[in-house]
Amino acid sequence: MALLLSMELGAMSVSTQGLVPHQASGELRVTDPALHFLTGKSLALLHDGAAVPFDFQLTVASGSKTNVVARSLERFMVSYDVWEEKFSVVRVRDFRKSGMRLSASSAEAWCLENIFVPTGALPAGQLWAHLEIRSVESKEPLAAGSGINLATLIEIFSRPSRPEQDHWSVESAPFQLVSLKQ
Amino acid sequence: MRFVLIPVLAACALLGQSGAPDTDSADEQQASDLNVNSRYTIESINFVDQREYKLSTSALEEIRRLIGAKVSTEALDSLAQRIRAELRAHEVTFKIARGEAPEAVRVLIHVDRAAGVVDASVPKLIYNSLQGFSGVGEVAATAGPNALTVRMLRDSDTLIERYSGIQARYDRLELAGGRIRLGFEFDAYEDQYDASTLAAIGSASRPSSLGAGAYGSRLNYEPSATFVLAEPLTFTTGLSFEQLNSIPTAARPVSANAVINTLRYHQRWLDAGGNKQELDAGYSLRAATTALASGLKYTRHLAQARYLYSRDAQSVEVNLVAGAIFGQAPLFERFALGDSVMLLGWNKYNLDPVGGNRLAYASVKYGYHIMRVFYDAGSVWDQASPAAVKQSVGVGVSGGLGVFEKGAFLLAVAFPLRQGQVTPVVIAGMNF
Repeated sequence: MALLLSMELGAMSVSTQGLVPHQASGELRVTDPALHFLTGKSLALLHDGAAVPFDFQLTVASGSKTNVVARSLERFMVSYDVWEEKFSVVRVRDFRKSGMRLSASSAEAWCLENIFVPTGALPAGQLWAHLEIRSVESKEPLAAGSGINLATLIEIFSRPSRPEQDHWSVESAPFQLVSLKQ
Repeated sequence: MRFVLIPVLAACALLGQSGAPDTDSADEQQASDLNVNSRYTIESINFVDQREYKLSTSALEEIRRLIGAKVSTEALDSLAQRIRAELRAHEVTFKIARGEAPEAVRVLIHVDRAAGVVDASVPKLIYNSLQGFSGVGEVAATAGPNALTVRMLRDSDTLIERYSGIQARYDRLELAGGRIRLGFEFDAYEDQYDASTLAAIGSASRPSSLGAGAYGSRLNYEPSATFVLAEPLTFTTGLSFEQLNSIPTAARPVSANAVINTLRYHQRWLDAGGNKQELDAGYSLRAATTALASGLKYTRHLAQARYLYSRDAQSVEVNLVAGAIFGQAPLFERFALGDSVMLLGWNKYNLDPVGGNRLAYASVKYGYHIMRVFYDAGSVWDQASPAAVKQSVGVGVSGGLGVFEKGAFLLAVAFPLRQGQVTPVVIAGMNF
């Protein structure tokens, strides 16, 4: 158990600065310049020319950190151009939405820019934003046939990440919607 | 790394983000590969560890099809699964690296056999109506980076002597990130000779360049190291301690201890027009020296080049071989033509019953689907004698054998071109 716990902690990276929420066009987005997930094993795979999927879950809680009132789930496919040495990101739900020729930090930022929750779904009062990112293991059975869907993503985030899976978790400080910059 | 196909996301609503794009055929094409490298053309597909894995002809054909095509994670993943199944490997993964040409990439296959595999096969089986049967049975065991191969063989085809026995080889693979491979081989053979060979050895006209007479058996101990200089160029160096035991057992054995060096280059190309080219070239040098306590002193040079061009169902293959021996080399080192590979149709014992110390050979083969026609020309001679060029032509079929398709088969009829008589020679075999 202790071993499992230590492996779990070892696989999880938590940003120390925390998420910074923003509000624009009726959507709540987050940024965190200190968060870097294109690292380690995933980065090595990317440099070898593979496309590496990352699953994102952005939740907003109200009243308490456990009272989730809004949730957004996305899978982003990141790849690394072996000739241009630049990253490319595609939002799998809508593959027309993509970022090309990006640096590693720009690719990470692009992913955060493209996951959001509508502010109309959020109540007034104190809120917390929480972002969780998981790399998708190549051996993991991906959605068969018709592809990845909401149910699959919900199922993925409903269970703890595996020890060998890279994952990141970061939270915001408590905030109120009205106090956010537009 | 295993490539994973991420198909089009199904229509879904994500908590306030309702609706998904309609996918038309162009969209599906775009979505079929979300890897930015899918716009590049595959220039070559090679194994990282430079090993020669035995794959089925259909797997090899799949590799050929992928070369020249755009990178497709789905296709590469399918190939990985196939190779994994055929090699019974623990895992097969890919890397994509820049190619030599702009907008082209190399695919490097990594086979992880960490789980340990034992594989039995028949890597070679030949029938030649002049020489009879030759065959090799092999058991190969792999555990992690360690490979042990044991072969039982009977060969009346490739050398002047007919030999049978055992080869046992250990390889330590993947040292220095796969750039160095160490090996040790032990061979033990019993030797037999054609009557014409024994007669030539015993005659007054026996060539002075022949380093030893007929021997009844030979043993070989051969440590070696292979270095990947710059893919796909490799250099192998080592030592060969060969002991020749004379037929009268009371006589002292003769040793042929040599430094061995081999330089090899193997590359494939495929352009956008579907033209496929393959070049396999090598040079080997064996130098037996008294510094290694060798009883015989000689140097043996052999250069080989094979070029293959194919497009659709047609192919042209050109082979060139040249060799020279200086000093007194034993029978097993001497050159022969007229076997099942070079100068088909000729009887090697008629050409030179004790082999020669000079060799020149060229062949052109044209293929259309499984049909083959070929023209061979070459000469094997002794330095002191004039070279006589011999020629042959032939037709045959070559292809896979269903469940036995790991090795291509060949059935050919070859005709030596000489005045006065036409004696066809039939050659049938697997895994040439």
